[in-house]
Amino acid sequence: MMRGVSKRIGSIRFATISPDEIRRMSATKVITADTYDDDGFPIDMGLMDPHLGVIEPGLRCKTCGNKVDECPGHFGHIDLAMPVIHVGMVRELKKLLESTCRSCGRLLMTKEEAAEASEAMDAVDDLGGDYIDYRLMARAAARGASKKEFCPHCGQPQEKITLDKPTTFREGGHKLTPKEVRERLERIPDEDLPPLGINPETCRPEWMVLTALAVPPVTVRPSITLESGDRSEDDLTHKMVDVLRINQRLRENRDAGAPQLIVEDLWELLQYHVTTYFDNQTSGIPPARHRSGRPLKTLVQRLKGKEGRFRSNLSGKRVNFSARTVISPDPTLSINEVGVPFEAARELTVPVHVTPGNVENLRQMILNGNTPEFRDGKYVPGVNYVIRTDGRRVRITDRNSELISESLEPGYVVERHLMDNDVVLFNRQPSLHRMSMMAHTVRVMPAKTFRFNLCVCPPYNADFDGDEMNLHVLQSDEARAEALILMRVQEHIMSPRFGGPIIGAIHDHITGTYLLTHQNPLFTKQQVLDVLTNINHRPLPEPHIIDGKEYWGGHELFSLILPEDLRMTFKASICQNCPTCKKEDCELDAFVKVRHGILVQGTIDEKGVGSFKGKILDKITRDYGSEKAREFLDNVTKMAIGAIMVKGFTTGIDDEDIPAEATAQINDALSDAIKKVSDLVAAYHEGILEQMPGRTLDETLEVEVMKVLGRARDEAGQIAGRHLGMDNSAVIMARSGARGSMLNLSQMAGCIGQQAVRGERLSRGYWNRTLPHFRKGDLGAEAKGFVKNSYKSGLTPTEFFFHAMGGREGLVDTAVRTSRSGYMQRRLISALEDLKLKQDGTVRNTADTIIQIHYGEDGIDPTRSVSGDAVDVDDVLSEVLGDEADLLTRIGETRQVGYATVEKDLMETMEEEEFEELDYDMGGDD
Amino acid sequence: MARKDTQNALRRRGISDPTIDLLLSQYRRLADIAEAPVEDLVKLGLDEDKAANVLKLVGPARRRKKKATKKVAEKAPEAKVEFQEIVKTKPLTPMEEKLTDMADELDLKLSRRVISELASRLDGHDLPDDKIHAVLKKAHQRYEEHLMDANESAGILAAQSIGEPGTQMTMRTFHYAGVAEINVTLGLPRLIEIVDARRVPSTPLMEIHMAPEVAGDVDAVRKVASRIEKTTLLDIADIETDIVNMRVIVHPDEIKLSQKDITLEHIVEKLDKERRLRKLSRIEDGKIILSTPENEEPSFKKLQLIVQTARDAAIQGIDGIERAILRKEGSEYVIYTAGSNLRDVLMEENVDPTRTTTNSIQEIYEVLGVEAARNSIIYEATRTLEEQGLTVDIRHIMLVADLMTNDGDVKAIGRHGISGRKSSVLARAAFEITATHLLHAALTGETDYLDGVAENIIVGQPVTLGTGAVNLVYQPKNKGAKQ
Repeated sequence: MMRGVSKRIGSIRFATISPDEIRRMSATKVITADTYDDDGFPIDMGLMDPHLGVIEPGLRCKTCGNKVDECPGHFGHIDLAMPVIHVGMVRELKKLLESTCRSCGRLLMTKEEAAEASEAMDAVDDLGGDYIDYRLMARAAARGASKKEFCPHCGQPQEKITLDKPTTFREGGHKLTPKEVRERLERIPDEDLPPLGINPETCRPEWMVLTALAVPPVTVRPSITLESGDRSEDDLTHKMVDVLRINQRLRENRDAGAPQLIVEDLWELLQYHVTTYFDNQTSGIPPARHRSGRPLKTLVQRLKGKEGRFRSNLSGKRVNFSARTVISPDPTLSINEVGVPFEAARELTVPVHVTPGNVENLRQMILNGNTPEFRDGKYVPGVNYVIRTDGRRVRITDRNSELISESLEPGYVVERHLMDNDVVLFNRQPSLHRMSMMAHTVRVMPAKTFRFNLCVCPPYNADFDGDEMNLHVLQSDEARAEALILMRVQEHIMSPRFGGPIIGAIHDHITGTYLLTHQNPLFTKQQVLDVLTNINHRPLPEPHIIDGKEYWGGHELFSLILPEDLRMTFKASICQNCPTCKKEDCELDAFVKVRHGILVQGTIDEKGVGSFKGKILDKITRDYGSEKAREFLDNVTKMAIGAIMVKGFTTGIDDEDIPAEATAQINDALSDAIKKVSDLVAAYHEGILEQMPGRTLDETLEVEVMKVLGRARDEAGQIAGRHLGMDNSAVIMARSGARGSMLNLSQMAGCIGQQAVRGERLSRGYWNRTLPHFRKGDLGAEAKGFVKNSYKSGLTPTEFFFHAMGGREGLVDTAVRTSRSGYMQRRLISALEDLKLKQDGTVRNTADTIIQIHYGEDGIDPTRSVSGDAVDVDDVLSEVLGDEADLLTRIGETRQVGYATVEKDLMETMEEEEFEELDYDMGGDD
Repeated sequence: MARKDTQNALRRRGISDPTIDLLLSQYRRLADIAEAPVEDLVKLGLDEDKAANVLKLVGPARRRKKKATKKVAEKAPEAKVEFQEIVKTKPLTPMEEKLTDMADELDLKLSRRVISELASRLDGHDLPDDKIHAVLKKAHQRYEEHLMDANESAGILAAQSIGEPGTQMTMRTFHYAGVAEINVTLGLPRLIEIVDARRVPSTPLMEIHMAPEVAGDVDAVRKVASRIEKTTLLDIADIETDIVNMRVIVHPDEIKLSQKDITLEHIVEKLDKERRLRKLSRIEDGKIILSTPENEEPSFKKLQLIVQTARDAAIQGIDGIERAILRKEGSEYVIYTAGSNLRDVLMEENVDPTRTTTNSIQEIYEVLGVEAARNSIIYEATRTLEEQGLTVDIRHIMLVADLMTNDGDVKAIGRHGISGRKSSVLARAAFEITATHLLHAALTGETDYLDGVAENIIVGQPVTLGTGAVNLVYQPKNKGAKQ
């Protein structure tokens, strides 16, 4: 067996095949165009000759004697009656004909020139040129040579070669037959080839004119038997049949001395068939078609494109031991785990090598059979196959399990069912980054979906509206070890994109921690027990006794899952960014302080534990390691769910209720704005609108109107916002960063605002108006897509239509975006995939060219960086100096980060938020 | 010269493979082998004849190589330019200097950024030296911990980190930061434009800063702006066609003329430069008359042609600058332009060449060189991503920029750039234009050494990154087995 021997393919050399070699490697010569005889047996020397390999089970190959799957297939060959040109090589052929003498075949270069050319090539070689440089040199040399009018060697005047696409050469108007071309190519000496970029060891020019055609093995072009019993041949076979037929006729006609015209016609027809056999999309000739009218898929088509051999079968491969099903959430699982349904676990297997140590265990497992009963209501793993030392694979059934169990001995491999704590890979498409495929440990459980902790949604970009995911079972110990060390979920809490946590609390978890910690609420003993069940936490402190009852504060509860010496200071997500920060005296409870692992004050929300932003998460992962971080996250999820269940949380349409006077205020504000717009329009018509520099009057009006309406929308939102306090569930979600934004809320309660297409107010539809409800040329607010109502008050029919117009743009945008960004990523990956950081700190490609002398100018791993910084200075200071550091830390001050900052003006922010809202609307994919 | 090249070179010289392996175990470069004494080669395990033979075979190569290099040197004679080293790093503050010295003393390697960040914190606080030492040591320890591991696939990391947020970007044009008059392409299209190394961006744009002396003077700045903004005759005058007399009358707008500082003579001078309008114009009481050529038969067609040419005739401005807008930034006035022409704008008077930029990477490359182009790529990409509210570590963008500018000019990411120049045939075939690459490889007898990722996946063996880059060999000791 090859196990344990790691051989590598060192290199692969490409070469052109010569007719001699085609004949030499041929298992049989193919002469008849017929495939099967009347009895359904393949005809000898036909296209389905049994010498070419076997495709039917049970038969043996006549060449190598192996059965299906063992015999790799063997090439045959067709001797072409007349030579034909290989389509892929036409350009090279033209180059060769142009740059060599028509009589002596030498390269049209003087000795000196040739020497110079080869010297230049050597120079390029020594300077480390790539294949494009060579090609350019070769092209230059050929161009130089083709300009010669006389051969420097024999003095023969040269004539101009033209190419009639796709395969006809003419010399000064006279047609060159492939035969003549071949004869001329034969005369070119080997030593004249290198300057033209051809390696005479791997390619003789005359081989580009075919005299023999290799017939691919039948395994490459299997024929399939339809249900009706008819045989259906592969496209390649069809094409070979065409070639053979014409070849036969050409030979007969030529041998019978048929008129030149007929022979030439047939020759051209043969050329056509051979051309389309190679490439059925050659420009200039009609593609060969199947009887049904579908163009045939010939050699080039097989290789090319997304569905071609390279991208679909070689760069990406289909695998066994995989499963796919719908996903659903389970907050009780650890972030490292994945719930696998029983049905899947029984199908997916892990190979276990039998050793003296585990033989007894495995015997027992085999006795369980392939579908063991549940024992005490628990899942029991069974065995599907046993692989014996001779490589035979035996399926375990109830009947043979005892027998096989007894015969089990070390050296066997047992394919046992998946069970708890097996390592699997879990993946969701599109796999845009490495966190799209992570290693989980299995928890086999009832029901038919894959389940995982909600914190792992962001890296997979998964939701549960019908998403499906894939699971792969690792098959070797090396793979398992590597997956466990490198690919485990807990190792990917930090994103390499920005050096912050990508795995973290989302949605209800954030609401949960908010409810738990905001203003430090008190919890009764019963509630505390509810929250803390199933959590592995530090000992509970002494309770507060109020009226003889025991209470614990939310901060105390949260502190239970923090590491003991954690020390942090930051601002929560609910922080309003007041001009001067009151720090400890913040009445919003937005100033978070953790000392010695105790949450002293502040609210834990998105900034504390959320994915992308969670500071505590970030700090724990960095300073205490991924194991601690996993524990923390598992606890946070459980605690947050506990807290939200104890406290209770709901949101509904009445969260957007605002008092009547607020509605009146909003209406006033909007009417004001609309009035202002009509004033602007009037001013525009009267010609007294002041033109902005560099803009036309029309544009000026649009900009002004957009500004006014944008401001009106914001104002409506603010009025509504004033009546929605922190006791409002929707506001809690928006402010704590759980879900939604204040903009969403103001659109629900206040006013939806201007709808836009391509960043402009709606204008298309009817002639000079959007809808027939308006006057032609009406530039007012309502006529161009301003939606005055809120989602709650409901839209008028025209408003609804405008809103749909804006929404459509969003949909189109996403559709276009995914394909464009996908292609960009593909190109980026293809360009950068080979770069790696070497031991010496340089980044190099496969040619050992240095791309960067010092990675990222400081050698820091972005994953380990602190949001891009090499070292977290605050952290270092507080660690060394302790409380003294408080004087030096500067939380909340906006740091000067990165290379560039772009400010946005009012109009853009509005547009952008519009998009955000649209994404929200389209939440559901499937 | 990489090992592989040496191997190839030796092979070309007809040295047998086992001998090559032997030689390569000791030497890396061809020149080293050529210079080695026979005895050394014998020591490697070659017999004397063979060793001598190798030297003979390699020897001429050395000469040839020298000749080749000479050739290259001849073609590019040593530039007789005296380089003046420009050091423009920000001077260290006293605190930074102190910290740098201390770090040197303690033999700690810390990046400038970390030191200056620390300095800004510590400045103004009187900390004893031993505490500062402790801080520096801690920072150094952290720094070391955060270094990237060897054999990490830095490239894939960068590509994913830039590609992944692409799905979250918008596809629209926006108005330029504060200057509502100018549109810019942002979001995904802009990012694609940057990695494509597109020759002309879809919305070229310049930010022109003034020399400090005039930056605060509106009139001076406006003057510059109007001088560079492309002005056609139609922008500053009404054009009337006098059919009766077969001539064209131009009525210049006095106000606009004075705004733009243009005189009638100036206009006539410019019009004379137009091929079709040569010597046709003259000034007549505040108007410019363009009459049809006298020696030719007058025709309406010609008149029409004159009107058209006159209308689009450039009177003032720099090619490509469509529009120039002033904007006050702090105490300065800055000119923003739609359209870009860095070379000519830098030549303008009163323009501060150190702060003036364009968003056209290609132009920066042509005027200021590759290093500037690299910085421009980083700047533009970062800005595009940041504007969309996406955080991507700058190291990823740097890597892409460095790759694009690696060999002296700006190469695109894609078929015509980086991916098209890969050394592996299989990798190229798997990317795009499959058939052509394969056929060409057959012709030139290319060899694929299977070093990269795509190739190894194709042949089905572990890739050479990460854990695939190292080999672990474990030799179990068999009990009782002989050594």
